[in-house]
This record gives sequence, structure tokens and C-alpha cells, in this order.
Amino acid sequence: MKELDLLKKDWKKNADSFEQISEKEIYKMIHKKSSSTVKWILIISILEVIFWTVSNYFSSVDDMLIKIKHPEMIFFGDVLMYTNYAVVLFFIYSFYKRYKTISTVESTKLLMSNILKTRKTVQYYVWYNLGMIFITSIFSFFIGFVYNPEMEFVREKLDAKGFATLFTAGTFLVITIILLGVFWCFYRLLYGTLLRRLYVNYKELKKIDF
Amino acid sequence: MSENLEQSFVAQLQANQNIIHKICRLYTAGEDAHKDLFQEITIQLWKAYPKFRGDSKFSTWTYRVALNTAITLYRKTKRTISTVEYESHQHFVKDVDYNYEEEEQIKLMYKAVYQLNDIEKALVFMYLEDKDYQEIAETLGISEVNARVKMNRIKGKLKKILNP
Repeated sequence: MKELDLLKKDWKKNADSFEQISEKEIYKMIHKKSSSTVKWILIISILEVIFWTVSNYFSSVDDMLIKIKHPEMIFFGDVLMYTNYAVVLFFIYSFYKRYKTISTVESTKLLMSNILKTRKTVQYYVWYNLGMIFITSIFSFFIGFVYNPEMEFVREKLDAKGFATLFTAGTFLVITIILLGVFWCFYRLLYGTLLRRLYVNYKELKKIDF
Repeated sequence: MSENLEQSFVAQLQANQNIIHKICRLYTAGEDAHKDLFQEITIQLWKAYPKFRGDSKFSTWTYRVALNTAITLYRKTKRTISTVEYESHQHFVKDVDYNYEEEEQIKLMYKAVYQLNDIEKALVFMYLEDKDYQEIAETLGISEVNARVKMNRIKGKLKKILNP
């Protein structure tokens, strides 16, 4: 292509025409903070993990379990709690390992794939927490209504007004909306702003290599 | 990190800075964005420097880290405009034997290249830098054959932009 050769000629001729940056300025630059996508993904991921871990913690049923003194239920609660600890530890470990694989020295395609895999690990963790919150809420509503003697009074009162179902459904709905809202915000921030360009470029590279 | 490491890095980067400038020229519009990307690339190079073993040339290593930063890590700020007007780069064209027709063509070519996507720009960049297809393929993480095929397609695309 004739025009491309022409461009190459011009490109080479102008290769040294840039205003040179001094060593002093370079010194200053390397002590500045990066504002790369990876850094932002890391920050958001940490925020997400904290948020979901904390929400999961608050939805735990320990107090209620102690009150009702029901061995099977306590056992079930313990299993849930220990599984949760194991998952958190496993998640932190795999996130750290994945994060460490992100290196600018790798090929562009591998770098992108490692970033996306790291992100996916966090996404799985978020899904897991959403699932756990769902399970524990059902569990706690169940034991709350069925086993907790204190609820007897409330139940009767609510039933008398015919509100029991409405009240339960309403609480569920509000909690779900709040959680989904937070989830959606993180999701938009990540996929709408930070990862869009990365996805486009990754797709393009995959298309070349199918 | 030790002082020595810092010193050798800064000296090598200073000597090789044109590689980064050229990438900034392709991927950014305007002086501010150029500086912004230059800084981010410098930071990323410095972060990766302890792993640089010297078994490849500093320049070869710089190409890879710099391109990866421009394509993958750099967050375009609001100041950056995605399509660049050639006019902002006019000061690069200083031809002694002034050839109007040639210069016009070069102008149009720059304009066309700016319309390519990030990956296509990377291929064109390495092509302009006389990199062979093996290196292009390794840098991007695609096969050599596919790098060639893509480069041919890009040539076709550029032609189409030039003669719509």
C-alpha cells in the first residue's frame, strides 16, 4: 500500500521531533500514583467484598438460634457459618492469586484475560453472598415464625389484622430492592465505565484469533 | 526500591522515551492527554522494572508494557477526544522539499489511522516501527498468521477510508 509506505517515511522522519522529558521529570513521575483501570477494579472489588461480607454477617441467625434452643437448627446454623468462613478464605486466596497474575509484561491478550478472570472471581463471590443472604433470610423468617416463642404474640396480632403475609412480603421486597440497587450500582460502575473498553478490545483480539 | 535501580531505570527510560511519545501520539488527542498517558506508561514501566531481567532489550520490553498500558490499563479522561483531528499534530510535518500532494496524502493517512480501533492501531504502530510479524503476534498474543491476515484487512480498511 503506497500511502502506508508514505506514512512510514513520515513517521520515521518525525520520530525524534517530540519535546524531550528530562530525567528530573521522570523521577517525579515514577513517584506519582497510577490511575489505571486495574487499580480501580481492585478498589471497587475490595469495596464490594467488604459490603457483601458485612451484609451477609448482619443477616446471620446466631442470636435467634440461641434463643430457640433447637439442636437441629443450631447445627444447621453452624454448618452455614463454617461453610461461609471457608468460602471467604478460599475467595480471598483465589482473588489474591488471580490478581498477582496481572502483569503488563505478558501479551495483551493474556493480560486482558487475566484482568477479566480476576473480576469474575469477585463476581462469583458477590453471587455467592446474594445466594447466602437469600437462604439465611428464608431460614430466619422460618425459624422466627415457627420456633421463636416471642413471635407468637406478634404473629397473633398481625394475623388478627390480616397483615402477616403482607408484612413479611413487604419486608422481603424492601430488602431485596436495596440489595439489588447496590448490586446494580457496582455492576454499572464496573461494566459500564471501567470494563467496557477492555471488553471491546478483548473481543476484537479474540475475533482476530478466533 | 534501591537508588541504583531508580537511577538506571530513569536513564534508560530517558534514552528510550520516544517509543512512549509515539504511542501517546497514536492513542491520545491533545497535549494534556499525551502527558497523562506518558505518565501512566512511565509508572507501569517502573512497576514492572524489577522483573526486567535484561535478557531482552530495554526498548523491546518498553514496547510491550507501553502498548499494554495504552490499550488495557489507561483510563481515558474526559479531556480526551476519541477521534483526533490531524491539525493538532501538524507541527510534526516539517518537510524540507515541500511536496504538496505528498503532504496532503500523509495528512489523510494520519486521519484514517486515527479512525481505527485500539487493536488495529497497535498493529499499525508496530508495522510503522518495522516490527516483524512474529514480534507483533507475540506482543498481542495472537498467531503470526492471523497477525498477517489482520494487517492486510487493516490496509483494506484504510483504503476504504481514503476512497469511500
